[in-house]
Amino acid sequence: MPVVLTVDSRSGVPIYQQIVEQVKRSTALGVLQAGEQLPTVKQLAVDLTVNPNTVARAYRDLERDGVIETAPGRGSFVRGDGATSSVKAAASDVARRSLEGPVREAKSMGLSREDLHAIVSAVLDRWFPEER
Amino acid sequence: MNITISHLRKRYGAFAAVDDLSVTIPTGTIFGLLGPNGAGKTTTFKCMLGLAAASGGTVTYDGSPLAPSLFERIVYVPERDVLYDWMRVSEVVEMNRRGFSRFKAERAKELIATFGIDSRKRMRSLSKGMKTAIAVANAFAREADLLILDEPTSGLDPVNQRHVLNLMVNEAARGATVLFSSHQIGQVERAAERIAVLDHGRLALEGSVDDLKADRKIVEAIFPNETYSLNGLTGDPRIGRVDRSGRIVRVVVLDGATDIAHRLEAAGGTGVRVIDLNLEDIFLYAVSPASANADVVEGL
Repeated sequence: MPVVLTVDSRSGVPIYQQIVEQVKRSTALGVLQAGEQLPTVKQLAVDLTVNPNTVARAYRDLERDGVIETAPGRGSFVRGDGATSSVKAAASDVARRSLEGPVREAKSMGLSREDLHAIVSAVLDRWFPEER
Repeated sequence: MNITISHLRKRYGAFAAVDDLSVTIPTGTIFGLLGPNGAGKTTTFKCMLGLAAASGGTVTYDGSPLAPSLFERIVYVPERDVLYDWMRVSEVVEMNRRGFSRFKAERAKELIATFGIDSRKRMRSLSKGMKTAIAVANAFAREADLLILDEPTSGLDPVNQRHVLNLMVNEAARGATVLFSSHQIGQVERAAERIAVLDHGRLALEGSVDDLKADRKIVEAIFPNETYSLNGLTGDPRIGRVDRSGRIVRVVVLDGATDIAHRLEAAGGTGVRVIDLNLEDIFLYAVSPASANADVVEGL
């Protein structure tokens, strides 16, 4: 298993959610490829020292989101289409969630929609310079 | 093994050590019991095991009350070691082998070796942590369906603490139920799926660690002056408590943080932030609202 998952148990983010996001990220970055097998629930639970039910919950969410599929008795695998179609959705989820807090705080500190648009545009210009 | 504790009470004279405790522990769960010293954790374990007579209530195992036929399937590691001082480590293993038919002596020896303990040593020559390790190693070799572990990592170094947590995960993965207490909230946060917090013998909080973290947040807002109204928000059942400090208000939200944030904004609040809570924060709010409040005010 080439993917190294870590959990920050002291974080306020639920552990199953940390696992889900890391597997999605690994899939998006091609570290986990279509057809690749994930560790068993028990193995990942022991590797991370988290209880098996939490890992099972993360795998259920990943299956629901179309990232992995589980064959009874064989294990869990990255879906053939999972590595492409669901990845953009997953990345969008993470980006949206990350933006939510700062936007709320900026708004509540008095910035207008236009002010925020200008900030986001400036950030986009920095990261997508070729598309300016 | 599924455990149902129902209205459990234990009184010592006028003192209620356990006061109307009801908790269900599903099969295969790692369940952490938290609480300040004297909250009733050990007394609960003793009542569950028949080592102390409950003053009221019931405890059932897969629906049946405790019976001698269950003793092989339940293992208890008390906080204070009860191992014979004059025995060698290997003799403790042998005693367990003779006492319990499902006991795997080879497994116990292997675990004791991984803790780095020489089996020829006498128990009295071992440190507190090493004695804990011996008791825990023997417990994990019992192939029990229920493990009740009272502070199973006390006195151990961080490497061996992690080792014990991993063994608990292993036990749960093969379907055993693990109930443990610990003062080290970080360990509970990592390994436990569900927790219960006891305070003065009463259940202060119970639930899935991940769900508690997903739901419980602090929402902070700043108001233009000190005379502001929260528009009846204080009566909202989703709000655990409200701390006011001048123009700043901090609301402990049990659920629905985003909605509460919007409502604080609607009431005229600015700089509204939603703050994640870790298990230690959640624990402190559950057992000592007053001192948790003091921390918050100082933090401002």
